[in-house]
Amino acid sequence: MSTFLQACVNGLLMGGFYSLMGMGQNVIFGVMKIVNFCHGEMLMVGMYLTYFLCTTFGLDPYLCVPLVAIIMFFLGAVIQHTLITPSLGTKSFTNLLFLTVGLGLLLSNGALVLFGSEYRTIPTSYSQVYINLGPVTLALPRLISFGVLIVVSIALFAFLKYSTIGKQIRAVSQNPVGAEVVGINTKRIYILTYGLGTALAGIAGALLTGFYTIFPTAGASFGFRALIVVVVGGLGSIPGAFFAGIFLGLLETMVALFISPSYSDLIVFVTFIVILVVRQLIIIRRK
Amino acid sequence: MLKVEGLRAGYGAVNILWDVAFHVDDGEIVAILGSNGAGKTTMVRTITGMIRASAGSVNFNGEELARHNSRYILDKGIVQVPEGRQLFTEMTVLENLEMGAFNKQRKEHFAENLRMVYQWFPKLEERAKQAAGTLSGGEQQMVAVARALIGMPKLLILDEPSLGLAPNIVDDILNVASTLVRQNGISVLLVEQDITKALACANRGYVIENGHIALDGTSAELAANDHVKKAYLGI
Repeated sequence: MSTFLQACVNGLLMGGFYSLMGMGQNVIFGVMKIVNFCHGEMLMVGMYLTYFLCTTFGLDPYLCVPLVAIIMFFLGAVIQHTLITPSLGTKSFTNLLFLTVGLGLLLSNGALVLFGSEYRTIPTSYSQVYINLGPVTLALPRLISFGVLIVVSIALFAFLKYSTIGKQIRAVSQNPVGAEVVGINTKRIYILTYGLGTALAGIAGALLTGFYTIFPTAGASFGFRALIVVVVGGLGSIPGAFFAGIFLGLLETMVALFISPSYSDLIVFVTFIVILVVRQLIIIRRK
Repeated sequence: MLKVEGLRAGYGAVNILWDVAFHVDDGEIVAILGSNGAGKTTMVRTITGMIRASAGSVNFNGEELARHNSRYILDKGIVQVPEGRQLFTEMTVLENLEMGAFNKQRKEHFAENLRMVYQWFPKLEERAKQAAGTLSGGEQQMVAVARALIGMPKLLILDEPSLGLAPNIVDDILNVASTLVRQNGISVLLVEQDITKALACANRGYVIENGHIALDGTSAELAANDHVKKAYLGI
């Protein structure tokens, strides 16, 4: 029983990261209807950025989170303005597919050139601190990360729901023509949205460094899972992405516990395919 | 107030409007009539800056607007109720109306303008917290009109308000437009396929065919015109 509870908690803590990644992907997809294939690599960039800030200025990784968010926001905004917006005009989906996939390859191989392939960690005084809560034990960094994740998720939700820019983002994603009719500058919203999505991936990366190793392809598995989260939780739905992320985290740890850790990727992707097929069958049945 | 001359526009290599010219005076309701595909919506989108004119001029109260973007043109007071309403269907009615108050001046006047549109359309106040997509077609058209009025138009463009709506709802909306013209001195450009309704409401009209202005005149003149009778009224 206690191993089961422990697995649940671990799944929940990991699922929070998938949620955050999925929400970032979903905001971008909602507004521009493009799949951001370099979303995972943005997480990796966030990790290295945190590593750089920690080792150079001696900052605590968690204090780097706001800094990383701001820097990543501007990185995303520049990428949107110089690369993605011009490609959106061509109306060709393949252009954007190659663009974001290529950008991802560039970033992960760039990291390989700059930092080498070795695994890095950021040692902190509390990385080995564990907290016992009845039958479950929690590593302190994971707990802090999860707390920050929840705060960021709620802040994102409130931002989209209540702020003027958040409303404009939703307006563009629901009806781009209507948005132009009421005078929303859609190009500006694109820049803000891609910056926001990239910042969310960067935050996820910064929060991971407390207990996860940093290497050039660290973002790939998170990038793939973000796609699953978006599809399972519903395209464009932020709450859907949140719960789908948590579900995915729980599924992974349950597979690891009851079957074998080496099967967890396999089962995750098989489940994804099953959900896709079942959903398609339901749609056909309805028609 | 609005003077359009030699307007040419289209999508990419396809030109739709050919040297369109017309004018709207202060406090006037002017109808632009034409069948599906005549270029009416393209004309509205060009005047409101959603597509760029390749030639010609759009003069509004003495200022040339043809090379400006949609936001600038909105700021000058040309506000449209677009074809197909173009609402934000998953947002509430109130949120949709908030989106109509796009600049500082409009935001400051939002509360009073909201009270005004609720007086025009009391149903919208009842449904303020409901998602716009759950409303009936007529109510959605009211939201679209209300959203435009929140934008404090000097020239209100109604693009096909009759599309897919029951006749009495269309009458309601046209009544609101006529009253606003009388009370607030705004002008209305009514773009319509339903020629009988449009001519009953407008002072003057233009008939657009294949991207050209084919005819113009007062509503009475157009209603009596043989070509209009044959081609549009089926008499």
